[in-house]
Amino acid sequence: MTKPAPAAPTTRRPSKPRPSLLLPLGLVAGVIFTLWAAWTIHFDVARIAANWDRGITIIGEVLDVDWSFFPRTVEPMIQTFQIAIIAAIVGCAVALPFAFIASRVTAFNRWSMTLDRWVLNVIRALPDLLYAMIFVAALSVGPTAGILALIFFNLGVMAKLLSETVDAVDTGPMEAAQAAGATHVQTVRSSVLPQVLPNYVSFALYIFELNIRASTVIGLTGAGGIGVLLGAQLARFNFPQIGMIIVEIFVVVLLIELASNALRRRLV
Amino acid sequence: MTERPQKPSALQRNLLFVAVGAVFLWAVIGVGIRWDRLLNLPERLLDIFGRMFLPPDWSFLPTAAEAMVESLAMAWVGTIIGAALSLPMGFLAARNVSGGALSTFARMILNAIRAVPELILAIVVFVPVAGLGPMAGALAIGVHSIGTLGKLTSEAIESIDPGPVEAARASGAGLVAQQRWSVLPQVLPEIAAFWLYRFEINLRAAAVLGIVGAGGIGALLANTLTYRRWDSAGMTVLVVIVGTIIVDQISGWVRRRIIEGSDGQPRAGDEAIADPSRTADVAS
Repeated sequence: MTKPAPAAPTTRRPSKPRPSLLLPLGLVAGVIFTLWAAWTIHFDVARIAANWDRGITIIGEVLDVDWSFFPRTVEPMIQTFQIAIIAAIVGCAVALPFAFIASRVTAFNRWSMTLDRWVLNVIRALPDLLYAMIFVAALSVGPTAGILALIFFNLGVMAKLLSETVDAVDTGPMEAAQAAGATHVQTVRSSVLPQVLPNYVSFALYIFELNIRASTVIGLTGAGGIGVLLGAQLARFNFPQIGMIIVEIFVVVLLIELASNALRRRLV
Repeated sequence: MTERPQKPSALQRNLLFVAVGAVFLWAVIGVGIRWDRLLNLPERLLDIFGRMFLPPDWSFLPTAAEAMVESLAMAWVGTIIGAALSLPMGFLAARNVSGGALSTFARMILNAIRAVPELILAIVVFVPVAGLGPMAGALAIGVHSIGTLGKLTSEAIESIDPGPVEAARASGAGLVAQQRWSVLPQVLPEIAAFWLYRFEINLRAAAVLGIVGAGGIGALLANTLTYRRWDSAGMTVLVVIVGTIIVDQISGWVRRRIIEGSDGQPRAGDEAIADPSRTADVAS
């Protein structure tokens, strides 16, 4: 004899959550915005068909990489590294005070925090290449313009990332430092900085990685590095040489990312 | 009486400082900074700043605003393309969904895409194929975004709660139905927030693609700077700043709303978006 199966539980099926009206409205708005955007930029697949033959010819020429061009790319690539190193170190150093003033936890007072945040918002609103264009126009071509452009870019990114990290620190050590009579700057130095230091170094590596990517193309505006060579070859339609430069950028960026990821994983 | 503990060795840290300092010196000496020019740099910058913004060329505002709107449209279309294509790539790259050689292969493709900057994609692929103009820019932005968004999507999928997937499988759901009903609902808020964040980044890319003929406000700035029309260039820069900040604020508000829901409380499992190092990854 088998036992009879226990009676099915009689609890009612929970009622379906009522869908919020916001979601369909948001979706409709998104679709309309997308259609408007596509219309604004004259998005038209037929253009691809019309340009296809010319496009494929050019892509074919780029893929026909001129490997003998490599020796001429070495020196500009080294300059790209130098630009990225200087800009990353200076930018990250300058970002430290900006980050601490921008965080609720370590700000001096309300108005300096708000001012600092707005300055950072403005700095972050301009992309790296726009800075490069402005500095090239102001200082003439060369790596100095590229370095300055990337310093501003780095300042914006690092200050934002670091101030968000500082927002989340444990405030216990701060209280201890204050109780022991430390001034505000001493408190930050002795009880906040050590907590965020691993993140800071990790962000710095990440910014160096971003700078390598950026300084490969920043030269298109004349701001030094391998981008200058890329711009010159582009002006002469030397596509196999462009192919060589792109292969090199690709390999360098991948290697830097691998190295930086490995280091960052050890840090945090 | 307890003894004061010994100070930990600072050797490793000091070695690191020396190494970074040495590399920095090598770079500064090697890059050939013109120190003589650097000395009058502040003066020169103030001069240019005055010409650009005191006052900017207000009559140039409609032209600049129109170009910025074009950049905005490029960035949006690019983000939509990137989001649509990165979603399936994210599922393919997630080890707990596809696994094995397939996910490794998908990861390699995503890494490769990320290593090619938008500008280069525009130069060698999309300007030749789509012609000069904002459509080329939107395509370049879209394809480049697949790399980052696909990687983040796969990471979000890998960190889901496996319970609902099991439940769906136990009730007879097929592979696709499992993804639709047990994986997607868990990751969609986080991924939608990543899409919006990427849109903010893409707007910045769309503002510069003009220098290679791929549309947007970048071409305007390049032209005005080449012809030394400083006040018009100043107006263009102002429009970029104001436009970008407005979009950032709106997009940031929507992102917070998506993550927190209507009750203002973060949904469970969505701490990732608040982690700066995760948001940092969206930008690469």
